Amino acid sequence: MRLVACDTAALGLGMTPGMTLADARARVPDLAVFDHDPQADRQLLEWLADGCERYTPSCALDPPQGLILDISGCAHIFGGTEAALARDLKMRLRRNGLTARIALGATPDSARARARFGVRTISALPLQALDCDAKVHAALQRAGLKTIGDLASRPRAAFAARFGKDYGRTLARLLEEEDPRITPRRAAPVIQVALNFAEPVARTQDVLAAITDLARQSAILLQERGEGGRRFEICLFRSDGHVARLAVDTGTPTRDAALLDRLFGERIDTLSDPLDPGFGYDMIQMTVPRSERLAHIQAGLESKVDAKAENAALIDRLSVRLGPGRIRHFHTGNSHIPERAALERPAQAGPPSAVWPTTRVQEPQARPFRLFDPPQPVEVTALLPDGPPRQFRWRRHVHLVQYVEGPERIAAEWWRRPAGHEPGRGGLTRDYYRVEDSEGRRFWLFRHGLYGEGGDPRWYLHGLFA
Amino acid sequence: MNNKAILSAPASNRMWQQYQSEKPQRLLPIGASLVDQRLQGGIAQDGLHEFFGADQSDGTAAAAFALLIALRLPQAETHILWVSGDKERQALGRLYAAGLVQMGADPARLLLVQAADMRDALRAAADGIRSKAAGAVILEAQGHARLIDLTSTRRLVLAAREAGVLALLVRGDAVPMPSAATTRWQVRSAPSRPLPGNAPGFATFDIDLLRHRGGIAPFAARVTWDHGDRIFHDAPLSGGLSTGSAGGTTDPELRRQSA
Repeated sequence: MRLVACDTAALGLGMTPGMTLADARARVPDLAVFDHDPQADRQLLEWLADGCERYTPSCALDPPQGLILDISGCAHIFGGTEAALARDLKMRLRRNGLTARIALGATPDSARARARFGVRTISALPLQALDCDAKVHAALQRAGLKTIGDLASRPRAAFAARFGKDYGRTLARLLEEEDPRITPRRAAPVIQVALNFAEPVARTQDVLAAITDLARQSAILLQERGEGGRRFEICLFRSDGHVARLAVDTGTPTRDAALLDRLFGERIDTLSDPLDPGFGYDMIQMTVPRSERLAHIQAGLESKVDAKAENAALIDRLSVRLGPGRIRHFHTGNSHIPERAALERPAQAGPPSAVWPTTRVQEPQARPFRLFDPPQPVEVTALLPDGPPRQFRWRRHVHLVQYVEGPERIAAEWWRRPAGHEPGRGGLTRDYYRVEDSEGRRFWLFRHGLYGEGGDPRWYLHGLFA
Repeated sequence: MNNKAILSAPASNRMWQQYQSEKPQRLLPIGASLVDQRLQGGIAQDGLHEFFGADQSDGTAAAAFALLIALRLPQAETHILWVSGDKERQALGRLYAAGLVQMGADPARLLLVQAADMRDALRAAADGIRSKAAGAVILEAQGHARLIDLTSTRRLVLAAREAGVLALLVRGDAVPMPSAATTRWQVRSAPSRPLPGNAPGFATFDIDLLRHRGGIAPFAARVTWDHGDRIFHDAPLSGGLSTGSAGGTTDPELRRQSA
């Protein structure tokens, strides 16, 4: 077993990462040791990255212990200087008991190297700052080169020829000649607005008031773009660094501030574990990650209720409160198997199927009002093995069949099964019967398997008619 | 507002008294002339109507009858919001769109809400009524539902009146409790008139009016649904083999009183 990381005190005692545990114990018998937990390290890093999104939307992890923030154009909130932003970040991290080394650079590589080696100028960086093989490092060292400055002053072409193309690129990135850009954790939102508070806010009413304000701001920005948002996110930055996120989705693009206000109010009401403001939020941010075109609408002179808009608003509100999967529309399924012929999908995902197959007017309905999925097993008595049912028992109640129509034969979808084209492997055929019992209730029963298709065919109740 | 406030805030008494003194504005004829005659024109289009299954297994008949009543609304207005819970879906199966089409409904105009419990379902139904997005809101509750009481139904009645929305409450396998509903019906599926070849015929119901807020006397009738014209027709009571309980002898309220 080896040491993975040491704190400052341990480093002072001569411990170094990579040292074997036995060695370390031999030197310092009462060494406090903990198991390495990369998962927890990763989570801490993610948590920090969440908090850092108060500075910039584009933030990337640099495992195992780094974060890279792209703060181009983000410093104006902190009096216009990047150094002030860095001070603010350092102060917040210290409050959480974290020691951080922060450095600013024109490229991610240069910033990372400066932070790691604590050097102000790039030319003073040691050779190890160059992200290369150990072989390259050894070769350079042997040539008497000690700093990045030494490398920068030598002609590049010769080195590139000796050490390969990667060498040239890595050096260029380190020297801020080439900017590779970071890959942020989240795609940059369409719109991002934020409110900063000198005094943290903690009451729900104040949070809601801030959301109203932000909704109005983003509505104006969306209007300028001629767009409406499909998803809105609120990030609540607690002063101790924790971040809570709330999101609402809408079925149609919208920039209605009042609607957003209601949806977020609903969202906060229905949180399974309520918001814990702690000592309060010092920043609230609204982002619109997804938007679509939305033409400018002129309000009609008479305040006529637009049924379509009402419907969309109701769907959104209920979806926020109950969960999007609980508000559904009907869709046609591309199948003749009854349970797959009609499906339900979340209403926010899109409009329902408009065209449905109909029957002739003179005939009673051939498909039931309600369907059991899966079908319910019943015990059936029939006169002949392949005849219609005479009586059946369902839920401990015996029904005597008065009228019966059938069978309507529905074959299995053999093309969906592996080797379904071979005889006997295509699945069982169903014989459906529409029956009415002596009390006037109408049922949809089927026999699973034809007589002679193999085994003892079972009966099921698949649906109930009106 | 949180859940509690919505469910427990007392409906304003003044509004309630005002409501009681008013006559229903619009009547929706169900089509069967005998029934409409007894109802003096039809059922209130802006009221709350309760449909009880006559028997344990008549929940489906009650639900279907409520849906068909909603289909009586003019086509342009028949956006229907169907609110039920996990329990109902578990016990009764799911609404089957391919069958709904054949009953004369347009599945594209139906919005399903499946709430986790009765509290959510009641809220969703109330929201649906108030939003005026649908012409009819159907709330389905199977079995005993403590939350459906005088207060919550009164709230639904007031919301329905204000929005002009038809509110329908389906109660399968339940005993009628005090409620503010405009009408209360008991529904049972009735033997249909068989088609040639002894095939089951069109959807037929035995309906009993148990209570009417306007003071119309209880009566029983048998109606059958015509999905082509989306209208109910009178069916002769002696049409089937057994006439069942058309006389209303199994009225759950009477049963309860005698017990």
